Amino acid sequence: MRLSKKALAVLITAAMITSAMSACSSSSSSTDASSTASSSSASSSSSAEGATADGDRIIAAAKDGKVGNWGLGNEYEIFALLTKYGQENKFISQAFDMDGFDDGSITLASAMTYNELGLVKNSYEGGYGYGDKVGIIDMNDEGVAMLEDNLFCTKESAQKNPNTVKAFIAASMKGWKYACENPEEAAKIVYEAGSSVSSDHQAYMASEVKKLCETDTKGNKVSDYGKMDEAAMQQTLDLAKKYIKLDDSAAADKLKNLTLDDIRNTSYWEDAMKESFDKPEKTDVSIQLKWLPQAQFMGYFVANAKGYYKDVGLNVNIVSGGGDIGETTAVNNGTVDFGVTWVSNLISANAGGMNLLEISQVYQRSGLVLVYKK
Amino acid sequence: MKLVRKITNSKLFFTFIWIAALIIVWEIFAYQVEQTKRTPENVLPHLSGVVDSITSDKKINGSQTAFQMVMENAGATLSRAAIGYVIGIALGFILALIMSLSGIVEKVVFPYLMLIQIIPILGMAPIINAITKDIAVSRIVIAAILTFYPVAANTLAGFKAVRRESHELMYSYSASKFQLYTKMMIPSCIPYFFTGLKISAPMAITASILVDTLQGGLGLGCLLSQSLKGAMTRYVFWDIVFFSAIIGILSFYFIGIIEKLLCPYKKLEQKGR
Amino acid sequence: MSAKMNSKRRSAVQSVLLPVAFGGVLITAWQTGLLHKLLNTDEYVLPYPTRILTIISENTDKIMENVWASLEVALLGLLFGSVIGYLIAVFAASFRKLGSGGLTIVSSFNAIPIVALAPVIINWTKDVSPQADVRSMVAKIVIVTIVCMASMSVNAYRGLTELPAFSQDLMKTYGAGKLTEFRKLRLPNSIPYIFTALRVSVPVSIISALVSEYFAEYVIGVGRQIRENILIAQYSTAWAYILVACVIGIAMYAILIAAEAIVLKKRR
Repeated sequence: MRLSKKALAVLITAAMITSAMSACSSSSSSTDASSTASSSSASSSSSAEGATADGDRIIAAAKDGKVGNWGLGNEYEIFALLTKYGQENKFISQAFDMDGFDDGSITLASAMTYNELGLVKNSYEGGYGYGDKVGIIDMNDEGVAMLEDNLFCTKESAQKNPNTVKAFIAASMKGWKYACENPEEAAKIVYEAGSSVSSDHQAYMASEVKKLCETDTKGNKVSDYGKMDEAAMQQTLDLAKKYIKLDDSAAADKLKNLTLDDIRNTSYWEDAMKESFDKPEKTDVSIQLKWLPQAQFMGYFVANAKGYYKDVGLNVNIVSGGGDIGETTAVNNGTVDFGVTWVSNLISANAGGMNLLEISQVYQRSGLVLVYKK
Repeated sequence: MKLVRKITNSKLFFTFIWIAALIIVWEIFAYQVEQTKRTPENVLPHLSGVVDSITSDKKINGSQTAFQMVMENAGATLSRAAIGYVIGIALGFILALIMSLSGIVEKVVFPYLMLIQIIPILGMAPIINAITKDIAVSRIVIAAILTFYPVAANTLAGFKAVRRESHELMYSYSASKFQLYTKMMIPSCIPYFFTGLKISAPMAITASILVDTLQGGLGLGCLLSQSLKGAMTRYVFWDIVFFSAIIGILSFYFIGIIEKLLCPYKKLEQKGR
Repeated sequence: MSAKMNSKRRSAVQSVLLPVAFGGVLITAWQTGLLHKLLNTDEYVLPYPTRILTIISENTDKIMENVWASLEVALLGLLFGSVIGYLIAVFAASFRKLGSGGLTIVSSFNAIPIVALAPVIINWTKDVSPQADVRSMVAKIVIVTIVCMASMSVNAYRGLTELPAFSQDLMKTYGAGKLTEFRKLRLPNSIPYIFTALRVSVPVSIISALVSEYFAEYVIGVGRQIRENILIAQYSTAWAYILVACVIGIAMYAILIAAEAIVLKKRR
């Protein structure tokens, strides 16, 4: 079976190449082939429409091999969900647009509520305009939520520069508070700071991020920005231990024995909230984002634009993320001082031998959903 | 009549024919894609759309149009590529010279030269970044590493291609090693050296773009991956694809022109044919 | 005669022994931490060889699965790319004016960065098969093919056209036709150039196979593993795959060199 699939792949490639070689004359025939292929995939996706319950939907998509995720450390909640419904932990690699979802090659696609979901639903530039024609499966409702965007630094720098860390947290959280109270203005600030996400989408993003900052995994309201909820952190760690698979046996052993105290320290945040800190030891600091500059990180942009960092004596440089030198690596090797990452990524980094410390938890619930066409 | 024949005989004319054919094929497919896909610009946009995105004065972030943005980032990437390229050439040529002078060095070093090309760039990047502590410097270093192999390999091939008889002739003149190299070996390896340069000029640019994607900041690669990740219109991605292809080709020709200027014999040879 | 044989044998032994010895020195420096001091890095970003080897030995099955996936893509892409590249060169050499223009276009493909090429090709091949693993493999092979095509066509074209002085006139005096001229003169003349092209495109085929895996839909391959592990900060595991990638590269290059030695020796 496997062999025949490979033979098929080779055959298709060879056929494509020969047809490309004979240039224009074959162009009409190959377009015919592509149009029939796309129509057949459309018909197969409609067969799943009968199922209604989320469970059936997940099982059906998993059996078809049409559950999508970006991978690269974003997949653990999906694994937990698949396991919950007794399915094999497998997904297909989703590109960073929603084309795969749109053309039916992925029927259950991963989406962040504040980003991809907005693109699928809305019809502004870059959007797909599905509106209410799509449904979502929420990781929080399914009980497999893992916490995402946090704030972290190295244990070493936290020990060496406690006041810098506390001052940074205090000013950042002030920024987050202002951003969540004025999401539209925050979106504008981010846009003006050089983000190329369209202003419509940015505004949508800000309003969704606000929800993630102010609601916990159970749906309760949270009023302390950046609070590290014990239960949610523990659930994240437990799921991480179960679903992060490390080939390196030493790292895997370390992961098994990690406790919350190995990955976070609440005292910096507590002191920051009480504003009990002295003059920062280090005034020029930088923070690397987990992704491209966008309203996902509005708190930091607002704190910078509103001068909150200056007020506590800091000069902050915001470094864009999204490249292959991840935020964990950049913080660990000292290129930047602070970073924003997902808790699961911090856990695997520490298991691998880094010495990182979470100092604040900005998002109080999971922003990951699986989106499907109704 | 004569003019027409002159035009139809020129190489440029045929290149244009190919480009025209390519554009026609592209547009046929773009039309097809437009009929079947909901977001055709993600798969294959009409070329007119790409041109529009370049000429449009719509701002895509707080302050810049697509064209301004591509140009600003291109400046950063190309200057890094140029610096890396020059370092790579120098290293490549010197290494080839040393390898040709000493068989032992060649035997020791050459397999490892090849090895450096094999190590995936991603594996090297965090290490180089850790050593240089500066992403801009590591980008230049990686661009240099990636470009010097074709120069070294081709130049070495040039040294080796010198015929035994010529060697023996120089020997009979009792030429010193220094004379041997300055009078014969180096001049005769120049065509090979330029082949290496021509191969690695576009490579320096593509490497520089690849390395850009490692971390944010200014650079075509950063912009490209941002566009690919949906942070801005997909046309920016296409602008960069075309821009980098054009710059890559121009760099190839640029080196070709330099070669012709430096090595007039080549021109004669071609005319003679 | 025997002295010459001896020196030849000695040089052959040297060309194996010397790099190995150098490698030995390097590995010793690495294992003892000297390399870390020189490069000013820690054993976290650059783990000790023993740790890397342990990881490889503990995950042989998984690693081999990924190796085959990458190797297939690299080899098939190299094969298709080289054959097509050579055919383009033949075409260009037989229809000089039309061809050399086409050659320009083909070599311009090399100027498109692979990070841009890969997503484009993957999008274009979306419809070739409903199965993600099949269409991913097609996409990856096409990417490697395109990348390998350019260097082969440019080099082979030189081999087919830059002939020894007067050889063409000689062929004419023999009254040889175009086909005979191609078979007896141009084809043999191009063989060293083919190897020059391969020396460039063999490493390139592997690199482009690895990079194409980053973007492919179906999650498999050595390159993909390197990237995933670096992003989740598992440097030791990433290094295990980097080492494996190096071994693939060395093996393919060694085979190429051996083939070159045999083929070119026969010609002499």
